[in-house]
Amino acid sequence: MTCRQAGRVLQAYLDGETDDATARRVAVHLEDCRRCGPEARAYREIKRALVRRTEPDPDAVERLRGFARGLLQHETEGEGEEQTPVA
Amino acid sequence: MLNQERRVSVVMEERSPHDRAERQREFAECVLPEVEMLLRVAMTLTARPDQAEELVRGTLARAYRTFDRRHGRQPRTWLLTLMHQERTDRRRLRGPRPRRDREAGPGPSPAGVSGQPAKPVVLGQSFHEVVDIALAALPVRYRQVVRLVDMDGLSYAEAAGSLGMSEATVKSRLRRARRRIRVRLAAAGLVPGRGER
Repeated sequence: MTCRQAGRVLQAYLDGETDDATARRVAVHLEDCRRCGPEARAYREIKRALVRRTEPDPDAVERLRGFARGLLQHETEGEGEEQTPVA
Repeated sequence: MLNQERRVSVVMEERSPHDRAERQREFAECVLPEVEMLLRVAMTLTARPDQAEELVRGTLARAYRTFDRRHGRQPRTWLLTLMHQERTDRRRLRGPRPRRDREAGPGPSPAGVSGQPAKPVVLGQSFHEVVDIALAALPVRYRQVVRLVDMDGLSYAEAAGSLGMSEATVKSRLRRARRRIRVRLAAAGLVPGRGER
C-alpha cells in the first residue's frame, strides 16, 4: 500500500469502516511509514478528544419512552387517532 | 399537522389479538432501546432541546405508523431515516426562515452546536481546548457530521441516513472537518506536520 492509498482510507480506517483486509494493509503501512504513522496518531488523538459522548437529559428520554409506550397503549384500546404533537 | 403525508390510518388492519401483541412486542423491542440515541442525534440536528424532543416524538409516531413497512431494515438505520423525513416535513411546514433566527431564537444552544466565529489559537492551550475551538468554528455541515460520527457514535451509513445524504458525502465532510481541526492543532504546535490529508 502506498502513502496515497493509505491517505485515502485513513479516516474510514480510524472509524472502523473499512473491511478487514484493507484494515490489515493500512495497519501494516502505518507501522512502517514514518510519514503516515504520526499522521494517523494525530487523527486518532483528535478522534479521542471528540469522543465525549454527551448524555441527553434522562427526564426527556423517559418522557419519550413513555410516549412510545403510549402509542402501543393507544393501539390496544383500539383507537385510530394519531397522537403526534404539533411542532 | 400530518396533512402532507399519505393517509396511513390503516396501520391496524384486521389483526388477531395475538398478532397485535406480537407487533407491539416487536415495536417495543425495536424502538425503545433506540430512544436515547434518537434524542442525542436530534440534539445534534436541531441544537435545541425543545425541538429535539418534538422531533423524536414525531419520529416515534412515524415509526409506529410505518412499522409494518420497515422491510427488515436495521432498526437504527430505519429510525434515523424516519427522523430525517420527519425533520424535512417539519421544515417544509414551517417554511424558510432566515439563518440568523438560530442565534435569536429562544432556548440555549448547547456548547459547540451553534456557529461561533473562529477564536484565535493561543499557544499553551491544551489539545482538548483547541479541538473544542476548532469544532465550534467548523461550518454547520461539517460539525454535524463530526458530532454524529464521533460524539453520537453513528456509523457512516447511519449518519448518512439521518442527514439524507450519501455515505460518500459523509466521508468527505468528515475528512475535511478533521483536516481543519488538525490544521488548527498544528498551528498551536500540538501536532506535528501540515495535515495535508
